[in-house]
Order: sequence, then structure tokens, then C-alpha cells
Amino acid sequence: MLKPPHWEMMIVWYFFLGGIAGGAYFTAAIADNFGSARDRGVARVGYLLSLPLVALCGLLLVADLGVPTRFMNMMRVFKFSDPMSLGAWAVGVFGLFTFVSSVLSLSSSPSHAALRRKIGFVGIFFGFFLASYTGVLLSNSALPFWRDARLMGALFLASGASTGIAAITLIMFATGQATGDGWHKLKRADHVSMIIELVLLVALIGLLGAAAKPLISGHFAPLFWGGLVGVGLVVPFVLDFVAHRTRAVGALAAALILVGGFVLRYVVLMSIQA
Amino acid sequence: MARTLAMFTDTSLCIGCRACQVACKQWNELGLEVPEWTGGYQNHAHFTDKTFRLVRFIEEPGAKPNGDLAWLLMSDVCKHCAQAGCLDACPTGAIYRTEYGTVNINQDVCNGCRYCVSSCPFGVVAFNESTGTAKKCTFCNDRIHNGLGPACAKACPTESIQFGFRDELVAKAGKRVEALKGMGFKDAQLYGADTGGFLGGLNAFFLLLSKPSVYNLPDNPKLPQRNVVVDSLLSIGSALVVGLGVLLSFRERGKGGPHRDA
Ligand code: SF4
Ligand code: SF4
Repeated sequence: MLKPPHWEMMIVWYFFLGGIAGGAYFTAAIADNFGSARDRGVARVGYLLSLPLVALCGLLLVADLGVPTRFMNMMRVFKFSDPMSLGAWAVGVFGLFTFVSSVLSLSSSPSHAALRRKIGFVGIFFGFFLASYTGVLLSNSALPFWRDARLMGALFLASGASTGIAAITLIMFATGQATGDGWHKLKRADHVSMIIELVLLVALIGLLGAAAKPLISGHFAPLFWGGLVGVGLVVPFVLDFVAHRTRAVGALAAALILVGGFVLRYVVLMSIQA
Repeated sequence: MARTLAMFTDTSLCIGCRACQVACKQWNELGLEVPEWTGGYQNHAHFTDKTFRLVRFIEEPGAKPNGDLAWLLMSDVCKHCAQAGCLDACPTGAIYRTEYGTVNINQDVCNGCRYCVSSCPFGVVAFNESTGTAKKCTFCNDRIHNGLGPACAKACPTESIQFGFRDELVAKAGKRVEALKGMGFKDAQLYGADTGGFLGGLNAFFLLLSKPSVYNLPDNPKLPQRNVVVDSLLSIGSALVVGLGVLLSFRERGKGGPHRDA
């Protein structure tokens, strides 16, 4: 006799875009701090992508409230153990990081670059937070399946990485920057996150046991197996494996990874609310 | 904090008249709702944004000693949990605990995020589309602050709903269970009376004539937030592994370790 909160399409988009924003940002900041000068293109795309996405996230979050004009009421309190409270703060703080990093990424002065790297290094943690807290938020509700999914935050984080990197890949491709080394590094990073994502997905379902039903055998099962596992994880791997020299195929794989990331948020949210 | 107040709902006394449900609606000015078909006398199927007291009509086939259908009646309400999931979830501070130990939603602060709806282990909180806020039983906050008991308890003609200090009511309820057992109700039991039990005890607790599950109540409800540390640590672990993977993917290799140029 429990009640679902009716977090529907706006929140699906929020979870999805928040994952990309967080993933793109921390990938950019890691490339900026630990990559070579040639990875600066990746960093710039990642920073510049995370800024409009997190702005959109903020708008979605506010628009979904029952009384949007009372959004600021979340700023009355800071509850350290409440994912919803921390999340509202994190969207704001992370937004500031994406803004400063984006502005600095447009400058070519070495002192700005050094500052940008330092800010990016700190921002990595907020990127991680934004990509994962939504999973912890669900696993600390009272609803079956969500409340049993101990690894949802961990899974959302890996998915945030894989979709964030895929989004950077697509932009690099579309803007003609899909050249040499940087492209392969991006692909490698995406494959690593997807493998972690797959492992976490298997572990999540294993730990859920019977509680995994809404995901793996209900009305949403075809979408889960076909859309997330098939189109979103297995097919991109196969495409990248058989045609790793063809940029267009790599871009297609990235697009499918994004589809998979959306399907993941969709089935997790909607399967017990629809 | 003032002495904790409580409501004790003794379901063995309930006659299903719904005086409590009506009194709640009228005192709290809860609006009209379209009735729904539930297959029995109960209406509505569950708490809504305009139904805070709800008499449940539970049919238990073959449960009577002679094999007849047993009809269990229970006037259900927000439990005002000592450890309340709704309160822990609320990011605006709209949900608060009063000095009497009850749990209330400040309608002027709630922004309608609905996290409390998904965080009540009993599915009590409901979202009101027209105000855009979350609604539930207030324990008649206005009445208890003016020396009156909740409207439902006042209206109940059989004293199935009793209002008073928690400690006194618990003692009374314990005696009532023993008396019922002596009368042959072998499954008579208290639900939520024990402050050492689940959720730190319920400030609206119940006497049931059968197992909690028969009343659609969870046997052992848990605070949803109890795993927040573990789940966060798992996410941090995932972040470390993913971060390291991305880092290794971008690090320059084969050139004597990482190098960096401005
Ligand atoms: S029963 Fe639900 S709404 Fe009532 S206090 Fe407990 S958690 Fe909150
Ligand atoms: S809907 Fe209102 S009362 Fe419920 S958690 Fe959100 S702000 Fe708090």
C-alpha cells in the first residue's frame, strides 16, 4: 500500500542529463589534469557541454515541483543525510564550477589553464556527486525495488561516465575534431566505464533477487533487455570492436550509448510508477 | 518537549461507522472526492490528499472459528512515527515534529518535491495537485494546541480511537490485549506500541485482531534512510574505480610516465 511520488518524464530527463553533465565534467577535468596538451580539446568540449546541461537540469528540477516558486525553500535547510537536500545544493554548486571552467577553457593563457585545472580537479567531486546521488535518492525511499537497489547510485555513476563520454565523442565527431590519439583515448575511457557499468548492473540485479522483477521480467523488461542491455551496451561494444577505425561507426556507437543511458533512467523510474 | 501524545486505535471496538472519517473531513475542511469502487464497503482504497482517516473493511475468508468469513475493521491513520521516513526525506524542512511528538507538514513551506510521498513506509502522504503540496493527517494540530483531542477520537462512538498521553495509553492497551486473549482472540496484538520496536514506536498505534499483513500493514517497517551511508560509500567506490579508469585512459603512456604541458 505504498505510494509512488509521480516523478515522471521531467525527472527521467533530469536524471539522464544530470548524469551526462556530471560525467562529461569529470571526464573533462581528468583529461585536463592528467592527459596531454592534445587532450585539451576533449576537456573544453566536456566543460562547455556540462554548463548548458546543468542549467537545463536546474530548470527541470524546479519545473517539476508542485510549487516551483518555492524552489528556494530547499535552500533553507542543509540536511547532510538527505540526498534530496544535498542534490539541490549540488546542482547549484556544480553549476558554478561548470560556468567558471567553461569560461576558463576559452582562454589560452597558461595561468588560466593552471587555474582551470585546479578548479576542475575540485569540480570532479561535484561531477561524481551529481551523476550518482539520484540513485542513492531512490534507494533510500520506501518503495519496493528502489529501496532494495543498494547499488543504484554506483550504477548511475558508471552510466553517467559512459553517457558523458559518449556525448563528448559525438560532439568531437560532429565538429570535425575526431582525430588521432584523443579519439582513441575517449573510446578507451568509454569502454572502461561501460564494462564497470555492466559489472554493476549484473551485481545490482543479483543483489536485488526477486525485487528485480519490475526491471527484468515485467512490462518494462523488453525495454530493459533490448534498449539498455542490447542497444545501449552490447551493440556499441560490437560496433567499436568490428569497426574501430571508422569514425562514423564510433559516433553511432556513442549515440546508442546515450539511448541506453536514457532507457536506464526511464525503466528505473517508470517501471514501478506506471 | 511536552509529554508525548498519542492515538490508540483499538480495532476490536470498531463498528465501521466511519464517524472518524467524516469528522476528519469536516474539521480539516478536506474537499469532495469522487468515490471509487473497491469491491467492498471501504472507500477510498487508500489514503488520499483529502482522506486522512480511513476505515478499512477487511474480509478474511474462513478466519472465524466456525469457518465463517471474519470481518476486520480498522480505522487507519498516519502513524506519527518516532523515526519518520517522511520527515527525514523532506528537503525544505516543511515536515517537522511538534513538541507533542506528532509529525506535521507546514503547508506554507512545502514546495511539492514529493520525496516524502515515496519515503513513508505506510504510503500515507499524498500529493495535492491543486495546492501543489504534500498532505497528511495533522494529528489535528490546531486542536491539540488548544487543549482538545483530534476530531476523529472525539467523534468515535465506541472509543475505538482513544487520545491521551502515550505512556498511559500504552499501559491501557497492554491490559486490553490480555483481556482479548482471555476472551479467545488468540492473535490479538499491539502494532507500534513498543518504543524499542520498529521505527522507534508509532505515536498512533493500533490493537489488531490478526497478523499485521492481514491489515496490509508491513510486519517490520524500516526507516527508508537507514542505508544512506552504505549506498553513498558504494557510489564513492564506483566513482574511484570509474575515475581511475578514465584517468588511465587519458594518461600518456610509453613516454616514461605521465607528462604534462601547459
Ligand atoms: S506514517 Fe508515514 S507520513 Fe506518518 S509520520 Fe510515519 S512516515 Fe510520516
Ligand atoms: S513534498 Fe513538501 S513536505 Fe514532502 S518532502 Fe517535499 S517539501 Fe517536504
